[in-house]
Amino acid sequence: MNVEIADLTRRFGRNQAVAGVDLQAGPGVFGLLGPNGAGKTTLLRMMATVIPPTAGRLRLLDRDPGAYGPRREIRRRLGYLPQNLGYYPGFTVVEFVEYFALLKEMPAARVPAAVAAAVERVDLGGRARAKLRTLSGGMLRRVGIAQAIVNEPELLLLDEPTAGLDPEQRVAFRALLRDLGQRATVVVSTHLVEDVGAACSEVALMDAGKIVFQGTPAELTARGTEQGTGDAPLERGYTAVLAAARS
Amino acid sequence: MNGLRDDGPPDVDLSRVWTSVAAQVWRRRPGWLERTATRLLRSPGLARALLTTPSLLLPWLIASIVVLAAGAAATLNSGQPMVALLAPAVAAAAIAYSYGPGIDPAWELSCSMAVSDRMVLLVRALAVFAVNAAFGLAASAVSAALGSPAHSATAAASGAAAAVTFGWLIPMTAVCGFALAVATLARSANAGAAAGVAAWLITVLSGRVASGHFAAAVTDTVLFLPYLAIGAVCAAVALFATRIPRGTYR
Repeated sequence: MNVEIADLTRRFGRNQAVAGVDLQAGPGVFGLLGPNGAGKTTLLRMMATVIPPTAGRLRLLDRDPGAYGPRREIRRRLGYLPQNLGYYPGFTVVEFVEYFALLKEMPAARVPAAVAAAVERVDLGGRARAKLRTLSGGMLRRVGIAQAIVNEPELLLLDEPTAGLDPEQRVAFRALLRDLGQRATVVVSTHLVEDVGAACSEVALMDAGKIVFQGTPAELTARGTEQGTGDAPLERGYTAVLAAARS
Repeated sequence: MNGLRDDGPPDVDLSRVWTSVAAQVWRRRPGWLERTATRLLRSPGLARALLTTPSLLLPWLIASIVVLAAGAAATLNSGQPMVALLAPAVAAAAIAYSYGPGIDPAWELSCSMAVSDRMVLLVRALAVFAVNAAFGLAASAVSAALGSPAHSATAAASGAAAAVTFGWLIPMTAVCGFALAVATLARSANAGAAAGVAAWLITVLSGRVASGHFAAAVTDTVLFLPYLAIGAVCAAVALFATRIPRGTYR
C-alpha cells in the first residue's frame, strides 16, 4: 500500500478539520469527494507532508514521514498540486517545471527530458517558453499538473486539478489520470463528481472531517437510486450518502 | 494532454523523438552565478532556489543601493553616520522578505519538496545577509573616503563614519535575526520587516536618549554582547519556527 492512514486527525485550534480518518490506497486513481470544508484539502496537505497530523498514523510509500530521511525520500517520489498554486510570473513554463524538478532532487542530467515530457503531457508544448504571467487560468493549472508529474511520482496528490480547465481539457486530463494511475497511486480531491466517475477506480466521500463512504464509483451510484437528488446518477449517490451521514 | 505527434512510420515513436528534441531546444543554460552556486551548495535545486530569492532580485538590490547611497550622502552632509544607522534596517527588511508565505508565490508547494524549505531559508538568509553587509561596507567606505581630510568641513563626520564602518555589523546581525524570527513565527514577511525596522528605530532612539549620541546604537561597545545574544536567540527561534513538528506520525 502506498498510503496507509489510521485514525488520522488534524486540528487547527478548536477546529477539527480531519477527524479520525482511516484510508488505504494502492496503485490506481483514488477520488476524494466532499463538500467545501469537508477536510479534503487538509487530508491532502498531510499526505503531501506539508503539515503534520495532530493524532493518528500516517505511512506513505512504506515510509514514516515524521523522520527526516524517510520524509525526504517520500518527497522525491511525490507529486503534489495544491489547491492554490502560486506562480513566479517571470518564469517561463519550462523554467517553472524545471525549478520543481530540481527541488525534487531529480538527477540534473535527467531534468531537461523529464521537463519536456511533462510539458508535452499537459499539452503545453506550444507555450513552453511563454512567461507564466501571459497564461490563462486553465493553462496555469496545467503547468501545475506538469510540475506534479515531472518526477513520475509514485504518489500523486492533486487538489482540485480540473479547476479552470475547459471541458475538452478535462476529458484529456481524465485520460492522463487513468494513465498515471496504472503505475502510481493518484489521489484526486475534487467536488466535481463527474471527474470521479470518469477517472477513479475508488472513491471516498468526506464530510465534516470524516469519511462517510468508501467504495467504487458504481457503489456510490447505487446509493442514490432511491433518495438522492441530482442530475447524474453519481450525483444522486453523492447527495444520498451526504444526507444519510448528516441525518 | 497527450502527445499528438503520433503520425509517422509505425516503427518510429515520434512522440519520444519530439520530446528529445524539445528537451534540447527548451533546455535552460544556467548562468555563471547559478553554476557557481550549484558548485558551492552541491545542489542544483538549492542554487536555483537561492537565485529566486525575492530580496536578491535586481529591483530589490537597486533599491537597497539607492537607500544606502542616500545614507552615504546624508552622512557627508549631516556628519551623522547614516549608513551605519540605515544598513541594519535595510538588511532586516531584506531578510524578512527572503522566504515565506505571502512572499514566495509557490511556498506551499516548496514545503513538499525534497530540498527542505528550512535549508532554502537558511541559504537565502545567509546570502541576503552577506549581500547587505557588502553593500553596507561599500557605502561606509565611500562615505569615509569622501569625508577624508580633503573635505575639511566634514572631517568630524568622517571620523565618526570611520569609527562605525564595521561597528554596525553586529547590531545588523541582531536586527536581522529579530526580523527573521518574527517573519517565521508570524508567517508574514511584512510582520518581520516591520518588526525589524521598528526594533532598530527604537534601539537607535533609546541610545540617543540614554547617551545623547545619535549613533550610540552602533558605537557603544557595551551593547555588542547583548546584540550577539539577541541574534543567537532569534536564530534559535527562527529554527524552531521552521521545524516540521513530528506530530504523531507513527
